[in-house]
Amino acid sequence: MQSTIRQFLKDLLTRNSSAESMRWLEDQVARIKGAKGDMKLFLAFSQASRHFSRERLGLTASDQSAAHEIRPGFQPGFWTVMQTARTLLVLEALTEENADWVPTLDKLFESADMNELEALYAALPLYPFPEKFKKRAAEGIRTNITSVFDAVALNNPYPSEFLDEPAWNQLLLKAIFMQRPLYRITGADTRANVNLARTLVDYVHERWSAGRNVVPELWRFVHPFADEEIIGLFEKVLQQGGELERQAVSLACFQAEAAGCKALLSRYPEFLEPIESGTVSWETIGQAFDAER
Amino acid sequence: MMYIDPHIHVTSRTTDDYEAMQKAGIVAVIEPAFWLGQPRTKVGSFQDYFSSLVGWERFRAKQFGIVHYCTIGLNSKEANNEALAEEVMELLPLYVGKEGVVAIGEIGYDDQTAAEDRFYRLQLELAKEVDLPVMIHTPHRDKKKGTVRSMDVSEEHGLDPKMVIVDHNNEETVKEVLDRGYWAAFTIYPHTKMGSERMVEIVRKYGPERIIVDSAADWGISDPLAVPKTAALMKEKGIPEAHIEMTCYGNALTAYGQSGQMEEKDWLEKEPIDQTKKHGGNTVLRGGQKPRVDNDSSNIIEN
Repeated sequence: MQSTIRQFLKDLLTRNSSAESMRWLEDQVARIKGAKGDMKLFLAFSQASRHFSRERLGLTASDQSAAHEIRPGFQPGFWTVMQTARTLLVLEALTEENADWVPTLDKLFESADMNELEALYAALPLYPFPEKFKKRAAEGIRTNITSVFDAVALNNPYPSEFLDEPAWNQLLLKAIFMQRPLYRITGADTRANVNLARTLVDYVHERWSAGRNVVPELWRFVHPFADEEIIGLFEKVLQQGGELERQAVSLACFQAEAAGCKALLSRYPEFLEPIESGTVSWETIGQAFDAER
Repeated sequence: MMYIDPHIHVTSRTTDDYEAMQKAGIVAVIEPAFWLGQPRTKVGSFQDYFSSLVGWERFRAKQFGIVHYCTIGLNSKEANNEALAEEVMELLPLYVGKEGVVAIGEIGYDDQTAAEDRFYRLQLELAKEVDLPVMIHTPHRDKKKGTVRSMDVSEEHGLDPKMVIVDHNNEETVKEVLDRGYWAAFTIYPHTKMGSERMVEIVRKYGPERIIVDSAADWGISDPLAVPKTAALMKEKGIPEAHIEMTCYGNALTAYGQSGQMEEKDWLEKEPIDQTKKHGGNTVLRGGQKPRVDNDSSNIIEN
């Protein structure tokens, strides 16, 4: 699988960079493989910024589906050319046979600047032995630098596949706190859990007491555990909330299995109709909220 | 007018300072790696400091519309702890190639000891190897001799003077520094280095070529607005606008732009400041704090 990933990234990169940049990259790979120690890798990893652009990769629909086939959930459409080059350098240097994977990557993480951190975290799902990076991913979620947080949390299949429940719940809570677009968290629905839902309910009360709103997408992670109290919150939003919040709660009610939710929603047919016709979804709500900010 | 402060230790400054700097027209700053007022005892402290220069501080500056660059180096004071200094030297290659690192610095002499000399030379070699400019810190004590020695040793290692910025000059050092082809930087720092009135006279006497004004503002009593204030004083005292532009903006850009890591478009084409959009929740804006909107003075602190 690793060699398929490397070849795929190399093809994407070749189409998105000059022949000169690719020659530099190949030269660096040869040097890295020929040298003892990690210093050549560290230098090339940093200096990739001098040879590759910060533009997004240009991806066709078939590239995107190929990416998904090679590694389910892998979305290089959100990657820059430079981060692709950096990832390729790391994957070329640290092949499966190399026992020093983790300490070398630790050093790269510890000395990385912002763009480098983005590359390292976004590539978590591509590393061999991905289970060895659970703590690192949890550390990434603690950052206050938005772009770095996004690299771990958004459009990345790693967290939903590998994080344990406490770390996963931190990711969701922090994404809400930082007002990140939750619909871009890969596989989020599969990790809904009752502890998360209870914490979110507490959070809703705290925000409302302080005279503040909550991110509409939050309700997506509450509805699977709808009980009387939660249905009461839904009702309050449907009565008093803004347009987007009411859409979100309607969708939550629609998807919830609790009988009380269906009954509640039946009193608001104007919200039910666009959900049934597919014009309102978590994506449209998330995008509309992002656009409003 | 736009200003660059090419020597300021912004990690020790508050967000109020950043706001004032941005309002005064500062578009970019360079933060040289230096000591922290108290000597470090572990290499890890250096590593975290270097990481913050290319990470958190850059992010923090951006939130106030200021582009942050840095220089990486082992300062002369801490070069005197030789065992530690050797470990720091091993760390430097990890950082010098990073984006926005515009020079090796600030390096040079403090007490002018043998250890300082050793690590100064090693870092000159590193600068040559990675083709970066050098920012030289000249000593407070025995300044003239230390400045001359800094240049002699740099030439001994084959560095081109146009790649070297000699900082903390005064009336006694400026002539030789300029005559030998170096950039001459001046630090407007109350009581210890230069006052802005003396600076005006230096620009009047020597003209604007290769002269650079900076603040070196840090954790001491210093002024993060030293560059725009000096520029205003120059204007008041009849220095031509073009000379002000060169000494308080253009020369720094040319000198450090030689790194390939600093270009005018970095601030001319940057996105407008939007603290809500880019940084959300709990970054410099805590909790539900409202982003900067220049509100009038009031006792109401935003919810």
